[in-house]
Amino acid sequence: MMQFSETVAQLVTKRRKLMWGIVVAIAALTLVILVTRIQLDTEVLNLLPRGFPSVEGLKVYNNQFEQTRELTFALLCQPDDIDKLEEFAPKFAERLKSQPWCVRVLAGSPMETPQGIADLQRIALPLLLNLEPDEFDRAISLLQPQKIQERLAQLRHAIESGSPRPEIELSLDPLGLIAPALKPFAGNVALEGDQPLTSPDNTMRLFPVVTNQPSISAFECQRLMKQVNEFRASALQDWDGGKLEVLVTGRSAYVSEVSLSMRHDIYVTLLGSIALVGAVFFIGFHRWLPLVGMGFSLLLCCLIALAVGLLIFHHLNMVTVGFCAILVGLGVDFAILIYGRYQQRRDEGVTHPAAIADSIHHLGRAIFFGALTTAVGFLALVLSNSSGFIQLGVLIAIGISAAAVLMTTIFFLFIPSRTKPRRSDWILAAVKTYVGRMLHRPRTILAFSGPVLIALVTIAILPQIPLTFIANARSMEPKNSRAGRALSLIMEKMPVRWEPVLGIVRAKDEQQLHDYWKAISEHWAQLQRNGAIKSFSTPYALALAPRNIERNRERLASVDFEAARAALKSALAQNRFSSAAFASAFQLLDQLQISASPDYRIRPWRDELPQNSAWWFLIDRYFGHDPLLTTGFVTTNQPVSTQEQKSALARDLPDAGVPITLSGWSYTLTDLVPWSRRQLLFISALMAVFDASLLAVLYRDLRLWLVQVLTLAFAIGAMIASMKLLHVPLNLLNVLAFRLVLAIGVDYGIYVLLVWQRSTDVARDLAGVIKPVVLAGLTAIAGFGSLGWAHNPTLSGLGVACALGLFWSLGATIFFTLPAAVAAKPKLPDERLNKRELQHEHA
Amino acid sequence: MNFSTNTRKIFIFAFLVALSCLSARAEPLSPDEVKTLLARVREKRATTPNLQADFQERRKVHLLDEPIATSGKVWFQAPNKFRRENKGNAPSVTVSDGQQLWIYYPKFKSAERYSLAKRSPLDAGVTALTAGLSLQNLESNYHVTGSKEGDHVILELQPRVPSLRRLLQRLEITLDSDLHVVQTRMLQPNGDEIVTTYANHGHAPLPANVFEFTPPAGTDITTPLGK
Repeated sequence: MMQFSETVAQLVTKRRKLMWGIVVAIAALTLVILVTRIQLDTEVLNLLPRGFPSVEGLKVYNNQFEQTRELTFALLCQPDDIDKLEEFAPKFAERLKSQPWCVRVLAGSPMETPQGIADLQRIALPLLLNLEPDEFDRAISLLQPQKIQERLAQLRHAIESGSPRPEIELSLDPLGLIAPALKPFAGNVALEGDQPLTSPDNTMRLFPVVTNQPSISAFECQRLMKQVNEFRASALQDWDGGKLEVLVTGRSAYVSEVSLSMRHDIYVTLLGSIALVGAVFFIGFHRWLPLVGMGFSLLLCCLIALAVGLLIFHHLNMVTVGFCAILVGLGVDFAILIYGRYQQRRDEGVTHPAAIADSIHHLGRAIFFGALTTAVGFLALVLSNSSGFIQLGVLIAIGISAAAVLMTTIFFLFIPSRTKPRRSDWILAAVKTYVGRMLHRPRTILAFSGPVLIALVTIAILPQIPLTFIANARSMEPKNSRAGRALSLIMEKMPVRWEPVLGIVRAKDEQQLHDYWKAISEHWAQLQRNGAIKSFSTPYALALAPRNIERNRERLASVDFEAARAALKSALAQNRFSSAAFASAFQLLDQLQISASPDYRIRPWRDELPQNSAWWFLIDRYFGHDPLLTTGFVTTNQPVSTQEQKSALARDLPDAGVPITLSGWSYTLTDLVPWSRRQLLFISALMAVFDASLLAVLYRDLRLWLVQVLTLAFAIGAMIASMKLLHVPLNLLNVLAFRLVLAIGVDYGIYVLLVWQRSTDVARDLAGVIKPVVLAGLTAIAGFGSLGWAHNPTLSGLGVACALGLFWSLGATIFFTLPAAVAAKPKLPDERLNKRELQHEHA
Repeated sequence: MNFSTNTRKIFIFAFLVALSCLSARAEPLSPDEVKTLLARVREKRATTPNLQADFQERRKVHLLDEPIATSGKVWFQAPNKFRRENKGNAPSVTVSDGQQLWIYYPKFKSAERYSLAKRSPLDAGVTALTAGLSLQNLESNYHVTGSKEGDHVILELQPRVPSLRRLLQRLEITLDSDLHVVQTRMLQPNGDEIVTTYANHGHAPLPANVFEFTPPAGTDITTPLGK
């Protein structure tokens, strides 16, 4: 080791050009890799673990269904303006339709528009032929002359009674044949009750819009939302009422906001960290150049981590890259620690190369083990199954290893060989005073710190004071998110609009798809009757069954169409119906007759529907870009939020023999709670076991090992207690904080205990290490604390939790670890030495 | 100046005819008069919330080549309960308790059920249908103008609310001197026109079961709008 430290000192002082050459080569190589290979994965869902069908389902629904390009606009007016809103809504819808980025708009039930009815009539024939044989036979029986007569007589009677039924029936289905085939569309009208477009108090109107966004990347989302926001600024022309808000939500709105807020978070937290870390470093050492060296070395660590990460993973998750800021917080410790020792030696009159060799010699081992524990701790994320977290773990492990190497080598290139010793150092003086007292009376300090830490651990254990765990999607929204506010206002105004559970089904062919949905629909209908679910909708009637179509066409050949036409004409005349109102009935009869011929080829109904038809909103809910990939929706009796609900749905919804993937945001996040808790407990425990084993090997001393393990337990306990008392909630991502605190906390212990164990001049060496540990701790707390300014609540939650944990780790190391080590294993001849004797000994 | 007896008679007759014509011509009511009238109507409805009357109706429907004439009896209780029984060859009973609307066809043993709650598409239609009977919220739902014809007052209502405008172009309500509705004339945007004449008004209390409907056993029940 001595040889290594002297070699490094030689290289950075005598062979500076060579060292700079190596630095430039590493930087150039990493930059070339980054520039030529960089591929950013913007999918936030990749942060969720693999191996969960619900997560995979969510990814499929997010990427392969049209809803990814759907935005929901909402107009929210004052209660006095509801009439004005009703009048303004069609104008707003027209303006939306005229936007270049808008493909179609749903401004109301398509059943209420002549276009919507005409569109339905276009696709009626294939859907009619798709009916199950018994339903088809029942429908087709209405073409018997006597039934035609009876039906029209009854309709005439209904008109006389003022019933709205004849108007509805005759406009859509004059023969009464196609209504059963169009049930899913009629069901959509009923769906208005579950997914309304107008709030009960009429102050809010919704306009789902499909956009022509070419891709779902973050940059495309930002570009689209820029256009949408321009539209928003001019959309309220002609509105003469009170305050009217235009709200927009949807995937693109969220992705745009999240990506922009991530950029903001990276800038703000990076600048915040640099400012805070710089301030702490300058206050501690009164030097600028080493600060620049530290920044440069950290930047190089990040570049190395990103470049190696790219070579391993081929693409990097944007969120993971953002999390690399953690690396800065961790790497800073090494620089402060080693520079603290270097400066102390310089102040004592040692030469530049000797001070470098001494600091590496004394702290190299501690830094090596510190880096090892942190790297292994983060590599434990490989067990998390989440590609985002795996990347994060590997990147930090690489980065922290690089930091350990760079801070003990090239960092010294930035330290000038001639520096004036500092005349006064109040921090060091305060630390020396503390060390003196601590060595003198360790039990007095323990008498204060021990009860405080025990009290906090008690609070942490007490189940009466709960630690909140938030597992909903809202916990991941950026603060002040416009899309989030829009969604919460919509949910507030329309509480029935809670998110359904998705049932995703993929089939090999059309017939299999139809058979699958037939089985599921029957099964879910039974569940609905039993009260297990509130309602459901499936693409069953829209999934064509070639067998049914073939059979029903053969059946059509037996119908006497001439007789049906004659009966219809006669019934119209008899009941004084207007012939014009029944033109479409005669057309349908013609179509049916033609389709019965064996060589007639039925066109797929999706091709018959115009692209701007509002019915696509319904169809796109069910069918993915691949028509054999489909989704059904189950509205639960209550929003899914508990494990019991999720387990019941997972047990009840699938039907035997039908491969179905259950998903949806609420369902998935509830599904992930056990994983997240397992993350918290299992992987943290695994890491603790590793740390404990490493410490045992490192110290080879039971008492010191016990002291260190107790310190870690106290620090984590105090962290949990503070989170409970300050109401800082845990979420799916900030459970990482425990791992970070363990990794960094164990380093603090290693730094001070190794010095305590191996020093021959305890008071001097302890003061020399405690000062940098305090500074490193403060910079880490400041660095993580600055994450609290992030817009992303998961990032800010992680920052706050880490800052709390590190505060207690640092406090426990200084006020518990050291005095406990001193008390457990006194190194001085007499712990009761007085101050004068101590000073004499130093001299 | 001397007039012959015949000439004088002719003059007097012409004067009386002119006078009667003048008196029979509709005189527009000022906005204040309309307001006063509506206030009187509200007062009367507050004291007599129940109404029953015989009716005769003439419908011109675009689905049919000829107008339809029906007659029957109607019962109404403010604010929104009503019952209407059509007589003749096509009898039917329409009953609403404000939440649900039933139309029963005894001849076919069939019934239709509509829900009026939760933003039913029928809400506006029922509001328009009952406006002539309830005479409630007229100013908030319609632009109201009025005119006087003899001892009758004609209120002309044009819907303010777009949902009503989709169903109703104009509604005319004729009131007699006792503020009984004697005729309503409804013009719809699709060209349909319904003229209903009411007679034999009564305001006796009505039992609750008038506005309740239980389909007789064996009735085929449909819900054309779902739910």
